[in-house]
Amino acid sequence: MSGQGKGRIMTHLVASFPSWEASLEVGRGLVDGGAAYLEVQFPFSDPTADGPHIQVACDEALAAGFTQERGFALVEALRARTDVPIAVMSYANPIFQNGVGRFVQRCRDAGAGAIIAPDLPPDYDEGLYAAGKAAGVAVIPVVVPSTLPERLRMVVTGADTDWVYAALRKGITGSYTEIGEDNLAFLRRIGELGGKPMAGFGIRSPEQVAALAPYVDYVVVGTWFVELLRRERGADPRTLMAEAMAKLSAQGS
Amino acid sequence: MNSYQDYFGQFGGRYAAEVLRTPLDELEAAYRSAIADPAFRAEFDRVAATYTGRPTPLMHAANLSAACGGAQIHVKLEGLANTGAHKINHVVGQCLLAKRMGKKRVIAETGAGQHGLATAAMCAKLGLPCQVYMGAVDMRRQKPNVFWMELFGAEVTQVDSGSRTLKDAVNEALRDWAGSFADTYYVIGSALGPSPYPAMVREFQTVVGREVQSQCRAAGFEPDALIACVGGGSNSLGMFAPFLEAERPELIGVEAGGRALAPGQHASRMSGHGVPAIAHGYKSLFLTTGDGQIAETHSVSAGLDYPGVGPQLAELGRTGRVQFTTASDAEALDAVRRFARGEGIVMALESAHAGAVALAEARRRPPDQHLVVNMSGRGDKDLFILARELDPARWREFLEREAASLAPAAEAEVRS
Repeated sequence: MSGQGKGRIMTHLVASFPSWEASLEVGRGLVDGGAAYLEVQFPFSDPTADGPHIQVACDEALAAGFTQERGFALVEALRARTDVPIAVMSYANPIFQNGVGRFVQRCRDAGAGAIIAPDLPPDYDEGLYAAGKAAGVAVIPVVVPSTLPERLRMVVTGADTDWVYAALRKGITGSYTEIGEDNLAFLRRIGELGGKPMAGFGIRSPEQVAALAPYVDYVVVGTWFVELLRRERGADPRTLMAEAMAKLSAQGS
Repeated sequence: MNSYQDYFGQFGGRYAAEVLRTPLDELEAAYRSAIADPAFRAEFDRVAATYTGRPTPLMHAANLSAACGGAQIHVKLEGLANTGAHKINHVVGQCLLAKRMGKKRVIAETGAGQHGLATAAMCAKLGLPCQVYMGAVDMRRQKPNVFWMELFGAEVTQVDSGSRTLKDAVNEALRDWAGSFADTYYVIGSALGPSPYPAMVREFQTVVGREVQSQCRAAGFEPDALIACVGGGSNSLGMFAPFLEAERPELIGVEAGGRALAPGQHASRMSGHGVPAIAHGYKSLFLTTGDGQIAETHSVSAGLDYPGVGPQLAELGRTGRVQFTTASDAEALDAVRRFARGEGIVMALESAHAGAVALAEARRRPPDQHLVVNMSGRGDKDLFILARELDPARWREFLEREAASLAPAAEAEVRS
């Protein structure tokens, strides 16, 4: 399977958090530190599938004046400064409300190669998958360990991309090296279906990255960076992210 | 009408994150099996008769009808149901379903607190642990209901994210459920959310409309119009449901006009302000910013300030079967006073929005017409809001005296 053991890290940032300018620096810092993929989350007022840290970051970004156009401008600015692939993560409504086709087009024009939309699953997608296919933007489906086998097959084999965003079960214990048999079995099932998983579970240490890396194409690290940014308000965002990212990948590469 | 729909026209659906998919699929299967099972329906009816307090009365508001000089106003006193509002109907149904599914814990979100209160009460009766999510703003304005929920043994969790009202409590409950569905049932509080919730809540609430049908017949009239307030839609749909496939009576939904019909000042989604949008797991008409965000709203009543409307009502508005109008904060407060003075009933602020429209409709219709307005809740919970609005000076004096009389020792005793 491609990417096995590479320990590549997909990192996540919230657009316009803590400000538009700072979020650009966050993205650059993550890439400086070795991030192999940037997931840029467009803030939404009601981010049901996220925890409290991301919700607060979204609220702050909206208060700081985030708009969809500012989001696309951020993707464009990141695209101009880095070569790593960029995925736009957005909840359904910002994609839906002003036209799915238009949203996909704007993502492509801004330089994003992929879209992740957690509440637009393949059978309630408002035409997102077809629009992505038409525009050459990968729409990456999200799956979880509780996804039933038949549905997992439908989702993974039905998508036009091999990439699969797998949100693993939390509760990694002890030395943070134990992934858990249910998570591993789940990743194996994705692999058997031909999917290439990008996966995470609230990772916050190099040991966790190293433990998960052999089983996935990208280790996804999300909330941890947002937490850091909320805690270290005074720090230079680019340096802060670069150092955190470098530390995280120290044992994973 | 079938007991289950995924979509109502273009509205509805199951726009849920994958982590909620398995529990929603499981819930749909369990609901469809239960609703088709006569034993389940019999148990619902038994609890309705022995605990909920069904049927609730239909009262002719003779004094106010005479004062209006027009149509006859009848009030469905749904607020006389146990725990003070129609919410108990869908709570009984859902909690019995939770039992049937073998769930060991129940969670709920609440706005005004009536849904949370009903859930806490039914969980106490069934011996199920109950956790209720409630926005910090709503906890402040509906403190009495927080007290009652805790008395019933429920854990009330304050939600401090977003606008700190109902929609944020919905988000928090969904987050809980995403991690807990194996043993936890999520009792949703209105006819909205991802399918199967909108259809399920409507089915459990339809008992209200069926009673209205038979009570009107027994009283010897056919209603010309039914009037109900619309937050998410549980009380209005419950009353309207048996009449949807007929052409009569007129069905009138009343939304919160708030302070003014300007952005952030109201919660009227159906009077031209709402747009098709997707949030909280379903597609319907929502108040949005235009840039994809769900908008802030306002209403004096915590039960009507939700930014989205249930998907079936959105569709019924599109087809025109249900007409929508608004009542302002001030009109609702005035209606509370008028129904109290004129008829000896205290409407919840939510229901008083419908009451205000009933008074206006009665004035412009002939005396041989009959209007039925749903008093979906009674106003006991609004004591603190009403007293502050209607009698601020004496209320303040009372509160200061009460606070002063609460010695620290007495406070500790109450809490232990």
